[in-house]
Amino acid sequence: MNRAAQAALLLFLLLFLFAPFLVNPGLVFLAGFAMIQIVFALSWNLLFSYAGLISFGHAAFFGIGAYISAVALRDGYEIHFVLLILVCAAFGALAALLVALVVLRRASGVQFAVLTLALSQLIVVLIGYSSLLGHDEGIAAIPRPAIDFGLFTVDMNQPLTSYYFVLAVCLLAVGLMWLLAKGHVGRAMRAVRIDAERAAFVGIDVWRVRVIAFTISGAFAAVAGAMLAPWSQIITPDYVNWLQSAQPLFAALLGGAGFFWGPVVGVIGLSGINYLTRTFAGLSEVLVGASLILVVLVAPQGILGALKQLARRRGGRTPGGHA
Amino acid sequence: MILDVQGIEMSYGALKVLHGIDLVVEKSETFAIIGPNGAGKTTLFKVLTGEAMPTAGTIRHNGQDITKLPAHQRARRGFGRTFQVARVFNELDLRTNVVISIESRLRYSGGNPGPWWRWKPSRDVQAEADEILDRFGFPRRRWNDEAGYLSHGDRKRLEFCVALATKPEVLMLDEPTAGMSPSDRKEMTHLLARLKAETGITILMTEHDMDIIFELADRLMVLNFGEVIAMGAPGAVRDNPTVRKVYLGQDHQHA
Ligand SMILES: Nc1ncnc2c1ncn2[C@@H]1O[C@H](COP(=O)(O)OP(=O)(O)OP(=O)(O)O)[C@@H](O)[C@H]1O
Ligand SMILES: [Mg+2]
Repeated sequence: MNRAAQAALLLFLLLFLFAPFLVNPGLVFLAGFAMIQIVFALSWNLLFSYAGLISFGHAAFFGIGAYISAVALRDGYEIHFVLLILVCAAFGALAALLVALVVLRRASGVQFAVLTLALSQLIVVLIGYSSLLGHDEGIAAIPRPAIDFGLFTVDMNQPLTSYYFVLAVCLLAVGLMWLLAKGHVGRAMRAVRIDAERAAFVGIDVWRVRVIAFTISGAFAAVAGAMLAPWSQIITPDYVNWLQSAQPLFAALLGGAGFFWGPVVGVIGLSGINYLTRTFAGLSEVLVGASLILVVLVAPQGILGALKQLARRRGGRTPGGHA
Repeated sequence: MILDVQGIEMSYGALKVLHGIDLVVEKSETFAIIGPNGAGKTTLFKVLTGEAMPTAGTIRHNGQDITKLPAHQRARRGFGRTFQVARVFNELDLRTNVVISIESRLRYSGGNPGPWWRWKPSRDVQAEADEILDRFGFPRRRWNDEAGYLSHGDRKRLEFCVALATKPEVLMLDEPTAGMSPSDRKEMTHLLARLKAETGITILMTEHDMDIIFELADRLMVLNFGEVIAMGAPGAVRDNPTVRKVYLGQDHQHA
């Protein structure tokens, strides 16, 4: 990764860290929402850029986390919220594992993507029938938990505390994904994405790597969903719908799918567009569409790819190359 | 015998490409498969490595039937290979290419590639990768270059490193010098000769360059239209009249 990209990421981190002191509460809410979408987008990109799998139904796993978390908070389950996040992760992982075991045996390309889409839309329909999950209206007025850590309590009813708790969990999730992606498991995944057959001939079990990647990805998507419930305090089937599934794809395209940090840049870009156009109904979709077309035409490697190319043109070869 | 191949037949749709190939490879020998373009050499390689399933026949490795074993499991049993058109992990640097191969080997051979959260290869893995790259002529300053930007000859050499990093018992090389410049070709031949002398590895190779075959091969087999037309020591095969007619040509410098 080159200097410009590093500087941009550092700036984003600082903005997220100090957002409550810099901007109005409405923007702070959006910042928290963006962090959650970043975790979700990164979980998707772990599949796409690392294991070479496209999921069009990834919101299903996000939704599993969101709804489990929402129901548990609404109905006042006696469960520590951190444990609840882990339960959500476990269910996300389990669901993803089942999908992978059933679907990946048969397909890994576009068919796989479409099957995941079909499964996630099926879940949307099922939610519509469920009174536990609030039918089409979803679950509203979700109470925020006060989380007891022994030495101190994190009360999510305090806006500032709540924000920093979401930030901490998201940073942790991003950190874990980064370590995984950069470690030997991530390397095996990338080998599979770049050339699955070549990978097999050095003894890598391609199918197994893909199943593991999908399972881990489902777990992190569910963690993102689990954080959304107390943050937005409302969960609707929209968060399971195809448009939510498409968000990581948009973010990855915009930011640069080939880069670990690409989706981060993308989510921030998309959030920016949404925020700036919030008073003009429909304009945001037009702008998102237009900027995606622009990126695909002008900078197919996304914003980070364009930055990398600029750096190269200026003569500075990027050590390590591909970030 | 390390490899015992019997009655291999293979078709692409209606096109039958291999018509009952029998061959036996002994441990530590260099066995060459030669034949004109389209004879079926690469197809035979595909069948042996698990890239394609034969329509008939059996493959035994150290006495065990591996005909139906998928490619990665054959790799784990000690089969390494290179492709006629070199395939490396393009977007990754030279080092990472070799590291992936070493880490894979450690995973399946009871070694330890380290915990998942280590964002750098372990020191041992790193050292081993560097040693391999160094041994096969990649200077340190190039280890961080992206493999996709390598010249044709260098890609072949890197793929060779990637294959060797799994410490294969049997190395299958599909035209290791195809498309190389004469100097690269000489260097590759030299590397192979050294590898053979130093490690006693079993090599199965195809090659169009007869000089290389005669320099390296202990035995060879001539394939023509998917059939074996001669097999034996290089000298004997060279003097075989059928072979001269279909393949070597009367005016070949070695004839
Ligand atoms: N994927 C494929 N589908 C259909 N036919 C194929 C395929 N691959 C190879 N063939 C055909 O099978 C025959 C054998 O091809 P193969 O590649 O095994 O030959 P080869 O001996 O390796 O030739 P070369 O010396 O040119 O590499 C040829 O007639 C070729 O056209
Ligand atoms: Mg061939």
